[in-house]
Amino acid sequence: MKFPFIAAALLVAAPALAADLAPEMELGKTEDAVRSALTELGYDVRKIEEEDGEIEAYVVKDGEMAEVYVDPATGKVSKVKG
Amino acid sequence: MMSDMPGLNLAEGGRDSARLVRVWDPLVRVIHWFVLVGVLLNAVVTDPEGDLHEIVGYAILGLVMLRLVWGFLGVQTARFTAFPPNPRAALAHAGEILRGDRTVHLSHNPLGALMAYNIWATLIVICITGIMMGTVRFFGVEWVEELHELAFNWLMVSVVLHVGGVVLDQRRTGVALVKAMITGSKNIPDGISTK
Repeated sequence: MKFPFIAAALLVAAPALAADLAPEMELGKTEDAVRSALTELGYDVRKIEEEDGEIEAYVVKDGEMAEVYVDPATGKVSKVKG
Repeated sequence: MMSDMPGLNLAEGGRDSARLVRVWDPLVRVIHWFVLVGVLLNAVVTDPEGDLHEIVGYAILGLVMLRLVWGFLGVQTARFTAFPPNPRAALAHAGEILRGDRTVHLSHNPLGALMAYNIWATLIVICITGIMMGTVRFFGVEWVEELHELAFNWLMVSVVLHVGGVVLDQRRTGVALVKAMITGSKNIPDGISTK
């Protein structure tokens, strides 16, 4: 697994989607990397695009929707909109 | 039929001196201007991903629905029967305009009628795709967003054509159409017949 640490953390606690993806969590610096990281975490990645210099992913999990913003410089989650 | 006899019905047919004819009831006028305000808000003011954008969108959809209901239940000039969608009549009307005919339609003229139906349909497409974007099924689905934007762009084209049509028709007939949508009454100039 690419992100064992994150995956393990998710397996232990299974809170609501928005809480799953805390800021500072590392997902990747490119759209492809972010997509595969989120997919491995069990998210249905509907769309990934660049918005205002950030990578924005539209994800769905357990019937919940969220927009995940990733800073491509650090590869970390900067914002999650539920 | 009595109403077919010239001069008996001042509001329909017949040549008369300059006069004011009440055509748009308050509901039609309020809906028209509120929809305009709503479209302006969502086009340039609200954040497309924010709650206000959604609220304004639902308000616009509600207003359009109310107008469509009013098309069946409303006063005569507000009813669909007063301005049925009829492309052939619209073409014929365009021909009349080119030939210099200055007849005034008390409700929408056949070209304006098509524009009204077009704008309502476009607004409904924008609202429905907007609502879809917030559902789990269509969240982040590309074609829904694209259709939302495409319909919005078409609305902008339509608004330009609508305003252009109003300006041209005001010049052709001398009826202050914008004022009529505010006050509710069309000023029919001297010697102009109506239908």
